[in-house]
Amino acid sequence: MRLAIADDSGLFRSSLTLLLKASGAEVTASRASGVELLAAIRTNPPDAVILDIRMPPSFTDEGVSTAAELRRLNPRVGILVLSTYAETSYASQLLETVPTGVGYLLKDNVTDAGTLMDSLARVADGETVIDPTIVRRLLRRNRKPSKIDALNERERTVLRHMAEGRSNLGIAKELFLSARTVEAHVTSIFLKLGLDQADTDNNRVRAVLAFLRSADAGN
Amino acid sequence: MLSESPRHEPGPEWRGRDYVLTAVVIIAAAGFCALVQGPVWNTDPALAGANLTVSVLFVFTGWMLRREPGQRGVAWALMIAGLLRSLDFVDAWSGAPWAVYDLLFGAADRVLGAYALLRYPNPSLLRHQRVYLVLLAGWMLVGRMLIMVTALPQWDGVPASSWWPSLIPDMQLNDVINYVVNAGQGLFAVALIVLLVMRLLRTTGLDRIVITPIMVAGLAAVIAAAASAVTQMLSALNGTPNGVYTVESAVDLTIPLAFLVAAMQRTLLLRNITALTAQISGGADIGAVRYALRSTLHDPTLEVLETEHGGPVLEEQPSDRLVEFIRTEEGSPIAVVIADPALARYRGLFDAAVQTSGLALKNAQLQAQAAREKLEQVRASRTRIVEAGLAERRRIERDLHDGVQQHLLGLAAQLTVAMTDTADAAAYGALAQVRDGLREVLAELRDLAHGIHPAVLSQTGLAAALEDVAERLPLPVRVTVPATRVATAVEATAYFVACEALANVVKHARAGSATVTVSVDESRLDLQIADDGVGGVTSRGHGLSNIVDRVNALDGEVTIVSPPGQGTCLEVRIPCG
Repeated sequence: MRLAIADDSGLFRSSLTLLLKASGAEVTASRASGVELLAAIRTNPPDAVILDIRMPPSFTDEGVSTAAELRRLNPRVGILVLSTYAETSYASQLLETVPTGVGYLLKDNVTDAGTLMDSLARVADGETVIDPTIVRRLLRRNRKPSKIDALNERERTVLRHMAEGRSNLGIAKELFLSARTVEAHVTSIFLKLGLDQADTDNNRVRAVLAFLRSADAGN
Repeated sequence: MLSESPRHEPGPEWRGRDYVLTAVVIIAAAGFCALVQGPVWNTDPALAGANLTVSVLFVFTGWMLRREPGQRGVAWALMIAGLLRSLDFVDAWSGAPWAVYDLLFGAADRVLGAYALLRYPNPSLLRHQRVYLVLLAGWMLVGRMLIMVTALPQWDGVPASSWWPSLIPDMQLNDVINYVVNAGQGLFAVALIVLLVMRLLRTTGLDRIVITPIMVAGLAAVIAAAASAVTQMLSALNGTPNGVYTVESAVDLTIPLAFLVAAMQRTLLLRNITALTAQISGGADIGAVRYALRSTLHDPTLEVLETEHGGPVLEEQPSDRLVEFIRTEEGSPIAVVIADPALARYRGLFDAAVQTSGLALKNAQLQAQAAREKLEQVRASRTRIVEAGLAERRRIERDLHDGVQQHLLGLAAQLTVAMTDTADAAAYGALAQVRDGLREVLAELRDLAHGIHPAVLSQTGLAAALEDVAERLPLPVRVTVPATRVATAVEATAYFVACEALANVVKHARAGSATVTVSVDESRLDLQIADDGVGGVTSRGHGLSNIVDRVNALDGEVTIVSPPGQGTCLEVRIPCG
């Protein structure tokens, strides 16, 4: 897999590059800011990029704006934001801006090469990945009544796994269910959330977004 | 009526010329009075002495009163009355012209005395007072004229050879007329008593203080005069004993003394202004000034009103009241004093009191302004301190994030590389242990940085930051916060207060759920944290005092309602904007 990195910490960047290379990936570019990265990958885009959230020049949410810009320039490149912030607001902000082929993971995941590479592969495939820590937090949130409340306990668990970016097969494995049962749950979720039954792939994203939005607006 | 009174009292200070002039006037008056009643000194020295004393005192009092504003008429009345009083006894000299003079004008001093009593200290007479005086003068003149034309000189102890305008000498008719004239004098005396009592009852304030001694003395004199008239009437045939005149003179002596007492009262009142100055000069509010002015000027109807922003306070000035503006050095009015018009007669006193009040009000304004400026400074410096503290926290959080955290993450990544390279199971196990420890440290560090200053607060605002706090708590918390951004210090204070309060809820309240509600308008931020727990929170807890300190630092307020068993509701108001 071909990857590129934007992070203002040189030490972290070089260590991450080492880790990615050790995990069999090729790092095509490693820059200290989003703007520099976009310039570096313009002619030769990678499969996915890894972005920090807080970078020069303003050190606020450059990761999100770089993601938006990259998606506009090159819709096929997967985007994984690696952040030290566990606040759900950054994750929601990111998903609002770039709904698919995007992920928000805590940087702590560099201690788990498998999860990191798996997540990169998924965003490169157009899936959506959210850090389990953040998903747990969203689930604990006290929200306004919404369509999500119509889901039963099992359906909510399935939706949470969908939000974490798992496929039906992955969810089935995780929950010790048959793929057919998971599919039934997913259909039920789409039905209850009022989503079009035909467009399965986009529905996954929409369901996850509905889930995150209900949590985000849960006040 | 008011316009007649001069604007300022003449200065109280006496110069050498005044003393000399006064002495000359007194000596001249005394000489004149001693001279005109020459023969009486032989026949009745006590009467002559009493007369001289009364006359001189009247002249002296009139002379002194001259200096008071609007009292020139009264002053001259008193001086002339004093001279006439002695001149009354000019008939003791043999010769008809003196006797005729005395018979015709002997009562003129009483008319002048009545005028002085009725008028002082007003600038003019009232209508009914004027009518009374004209009637009195007419009665005295016409009555006496009738007595004269119906009498022969010898009947009045005057030598028969003297010139006397006897037209129809008739002893019986003369007796009747004498009787009627004297009775009429008695009635005029009673009428004067009624008029004086009416004046005394109708007068209020400073006037009352000043005229009371005069009225009392006047009443005594009028009663004595009435008694004298009755005696004369009863003893018409035998001639009036001189003792009666002596007693009357002694009583009359109280009148000039009373006028002198009145003048002293005025001086004393001026001294009250000095006391007033001491009382309020340090600066006083409008209420204190009003009270001080009312008591000093003896005018309970007096009103002091503040003018708003220097504009006129009165749509129209009451024409029947005394109105005086208090102004700043620049001339813009700061207050207006509305008083009894009678105080115009005490213009010097009134002006001094108003001036003093003006000074007090100006001082109070200056003090208030100084206090406001000081408060503003303190407020600004406290806000700066809070903001400096916040900036410091943000800096530490950023340093942790950019420095230690990235460094540790870099090490974690390298550790992961090392683990993928390690084939040795034992080494892998050891590295895995380090990795697990590193994960914990990273989580702790993240919480630490977040606790020092949540980046989301400055980047996204209070709503996101508080929702994030709510997510971490073990109980459902409903967060209602508008997306409106406010000043950094206000946001941070609201955030830390909410965190502290929610921590208290988790630790002590045994609550099933809680709510955090924020509302913001242009002037303030309201924050409410409520739970359904055990309540009974006292305002002394450490957590609460932290909250109060933080809120006070921004001039806000904290209220807590926590009845036992009914949950706790903490309300915080922070001014902003």
